[in-house]
Amino acid sequence: MNLVWLHEDALRLSHPVFEAAGGHRQSVFIWDEIYLKKMNYSFKRLVFIYESLCELPVTILEGETIDTLNHHANAIHAESIKIPATPNPYLQSMIASLDFPTEIVNDTPFVKTEKVIKVERFFRYWNIVKKQVMQN
Amino acid sequence: MNKLQKTFSDRNELIDYVATLSPWLTDRSVSHHRGGVEEAEIRLDNIDPEGYVRSRNFLNGKITYLSPYIRHGILTLDRVRKTALSKIDKPAKIEKFIQELAWRDFWQRKYYEDSNCIWFDIEPYKTGFSKDDYADELPDDIAHGETGVACIDQFIHTLLDSGYMHNHTRMYVAAYVIHWRQIKWQAGARWFLHHLIDGDAASNNLSWQWIASTFSNKPYIFNLENVRKYANKEINTCSHDNQVLDASYETLSKKLFPNMQSQP
Repeated sequence: MNLVWLHEDALRLSHPVFEAAGGHRQSVFIWDEIYLKKMNYSFKRLVFIYESLCELPVTILEGETIDTLNHHANAIHAESIKIPATPNPYLQSMIASLDFPTEIVNDTPFVKTEKVIKVERFFRYWNIVKKQVMQN
Repeated sequence: MNKLQKTFSDRNELIDYVATLSPWLTDRSVSHHRGGVEEAEIRLDNIDPEGYVRSRNFLNGKITYLSPYIRHGILTLDRVRKTALSKIDKPAKIEKFIQELAWRDFWQRKYYEDSNCIWFDIEPYKTGFSKDDYADELPDDIAHGETGVACIDQFIHTLLDSGYMHNHTRMYVAAYVIHWRQIKWQAGARWFLHHLIDGDAASNNLSWQWIASTFSNKPYIFNLENVRKYANKEINTCSHDNQVLDASYETLSKKLFPNMQSQP
């Protein structure tokens, strides 16, 4: 059994995190008041996120993220927690604090490249990726 | 650990329930932009990439309204890209559309590369001022859309009412906040991130830095003539109600960046 922690950066069922977790999985979203306050989202945003969650086969648990995930992973005897990749440093710090083995799963990329693209000015980046992304 | 409700009889019931889950928020207004995959799929089906290329800078142009769904991973940039390309015969026709998707990918890469950079000046201001010359806090008149500059106030009210703004109006308001009012871009970026339902720290903050000139070669400014060119008729662009914007770029540059004139 794997546990999928779906966070606000990946609110769809076709995210590769679900395939990585396999068929024997449980999926949760944590409604964490401390996190949401820290993000300083408006009520409009919270409604948008909640509406999106209601269409997904995930359980929404209210609580502090790290404690809730650790507790739930223990309760279902999870082998690991699968988590969509995120650049959000606050989410990253919570991932690093979990007591369980975790796997970060990348989303489908916009540009497929093994080469490291140095992010300086946009048009330097565009000149590198243009040929690939303009093809169907 | 409390398991939360997921089925509701209608949107109002869901909204009331979310209100009980967010007692710290006092403004309970909601956006007409609905969340969820179903709505995202409808919008994706309806995109008009060629129309977007022709009209995206106009405030009533054929923009996609996909950004909230991309922001929360409901749609990927790759999916939008492929859908757009499938709607045309020659990819070159929609280069500007694909390029806008690439901008978001670029901002995300920057965020992954250095997540701290998004709240700090990546480079110094290139305005003739130092960062200490800019105020730390956003004044109330801007926060409430009561600046007295008619079109700016209308753009701000759109943000407050819908949680969404056309990209061009984001640029106008950001430039007004930073360059006309001399307020640090961080104050404006925090404000946008609170209200925008598609607010993304990377795209938002790095765009504010681009306007400010801390992540670009020069500050972005605009004038009333430019607003008139792109605005729809509901926007008040009369000179009397927008006096601080009503000048040539040369005049505005001299006024807004007086220290720059003496530089070579």
